[in-house]
Amino acid sequence: MISHYLQRNGIPTTTISLIREHTEITRQPRALWVPFPLGRPLGVADDPDFQRDVLRSALRLLDTATKPVIEDYPHDAPDGGGDGVWSCSIMLPEPEVSDLEAAIRGEVDLLTPWYEEARRRRGRTTVGISGVKPEEIDKVVSFIVAIAEGSGFQQIPVSAEGPNWRHPLPMLVRFAVEDLRAFYQEAVTSQEGTKPPSQHDMHSWIFNRTTLGRAIMAIGHQIADNEDRRLMTMRGLMIPEGFWEGEVSWGELPPGMDRLSFIKSSRAYLAGEEAEAR
Amino acid sequence: MVRLSELHPEEAEHMLGRAALLKRSSFDFDATPWIMPKPLRESTIALISTAALHRRDDPAFRFGDTGYRLIPNDIDPAELVQSHISVNFDRTHYQRDLNVVLPIDRMRELAEAGEIGGVSPIHFSILGATESFLFERTGEEIARRLHDLGVDTAMLVPV
Repeated sequence: MISHYLQRNGIPTTTISLIREHTEITRQPRALWVPFPLGRPLGVADDPDFQRDVLRSALRLLDTATKPVIEDYPHDAPDGGGDGVWSCSIMLPEPEVSDLEAAIRGEVDLLTPWYEEARRRRGRTTVGISGVKPEEIDKVVSFIVAIAEGSGFQQIPVSAEGPNWRHPLPMLVRFAVEDLRAFYQEAVTSQEGTKPPSQHDMHSWIFNRTTLGRAIMAIGHQIADNEDRRLMTMRGLMIPEGFWEGEVSWGELPPGMDRLSFIKSSRAYLAGEEAEAR
Repeated sequence: MVRLSELHPEEAEHMLGRAALLKRSSFDFDATPWIMPKPLRESTIALISTAALHRRDDPAFRFGDTGYRLIPNDIDPAELVQSHISVNFDRTHYQRDLNVVLPIDRMRELAEAGEIGGVSPIHFSILGATESFLFERTGEEIARRLHDLGVDTAMLVPV
C-alpha cells in the first residue's frame, strides 16, 4: 500500500513481493515476486551475487514496465536445502526445567564464545531489541526466567532491573524473548561457510532442544492461565504456529472475532497504552 | 518457497485474511496514476523497508505503529536493530547479513557500477505488520522527504 501513497505523491516505485496474493490485489505498479521465505526478500545471506541479481531484477522494471506488472523471479534461494537438513554443531545438555535459571545460564555460557566469534566476524549483533546492551544478556535471562515462573506481566521483575528497557510491558516480554533467541541463533550460525538452518529447523532447535525453548513455553502457559485474554495475542507473536502443544499458538478466538480483529483489540493493552482490565 | 501452500495452515489463513481485508477495502487501487520514472541510470533511489529496522537509540516501533524511522545510507549496520513483532518469518539470514533485508551494500555497488544514478542519503523503515491502510500520512510524508532529498524513485523491500 505504501507504494500507492508514494505514487500518489509523485514518487515512482518498484517493489519486491513476498506474498503474491497481496500484490495481485493491491495492483502495485511494478513488483518482482520472489519465491523466498518470509523475512528474506533478497533471498540469502552472504551471497552478494545472488542479492545483486534480485535487486537488479526489481529495479529493471523501472526501465521496462509500461503498465502495472508482477514479474516472477525465476530462481529459488541457494540456501541450505530446506527443512531437516541442518543440525546444531554446538552440543547443549538436554533441556532442563527443574531449575530454569541455572539451565539457561549454562546454555548461555556454552554459547558465549560462539556468539562473540560471530559478533567479531560480522561486526554486528542484532541483540538489543528490548533495549539491553549485548553485554547485559544476563539481565534478559533473569527477566525471562522471572516471567516464566509467574512474576506477571505488569512490572519489571526486581531481578531484571538495570537495563534501559525500551518497550512497555507486556510487549517487552516478547522482545526480551527475541533478544535471547537472537543471542542463541547468532551463536549457532557463527561458523563461516556453513548454510544457516531453515526457519523451521531453527524454531525446532530452539523449542525442542534448548531450555530457553522450555522457558518460552512456560511463558505461554502463564499467558494461558492469566485472566486477561488479550495476552494471547502476544503468545501468537512469540510462539510460531506449529510449536504450541498441537494447538493454535494464538489460542481460541473470542466468539465472533477473527484473528485480525482480535489482534487489533489487544494492541493498545499490549503496547502499554491502557491500564490492566481486571 | 513462500507460496501460501508452504506456510503453516494457520499462517496461510492469516495471510488470506489480510488479502480479504485488502479486497474488501474501498480503496481505489486503479486510481493511482502511472508515473514514468527517469531512466535507471539517472535515478537516485531510496530503500523503503517494512522490517521495522531502527537505530538502537531511536524510539522502538510500538505495536500498531504507523510512523517511520530514518536510516542513513552510511549507517554502521551494528547500529541497527529490528523491532518487528511477528515470529513467523526467518530472522537467521538477517542476523548474519543485513543486506538480505536492507541491501545497502548492493545499492552502493550498483551506483558505483553506473547501473543506477545514485543512492539516497537516507532510507526509510516502517513496521509492516500494521494495517497498510493506516500509512497514508506516513506515505505522504516520506514522499515529501524524498522530494526534498532529490530522490527520484523508491525501492520497496518487504519482510
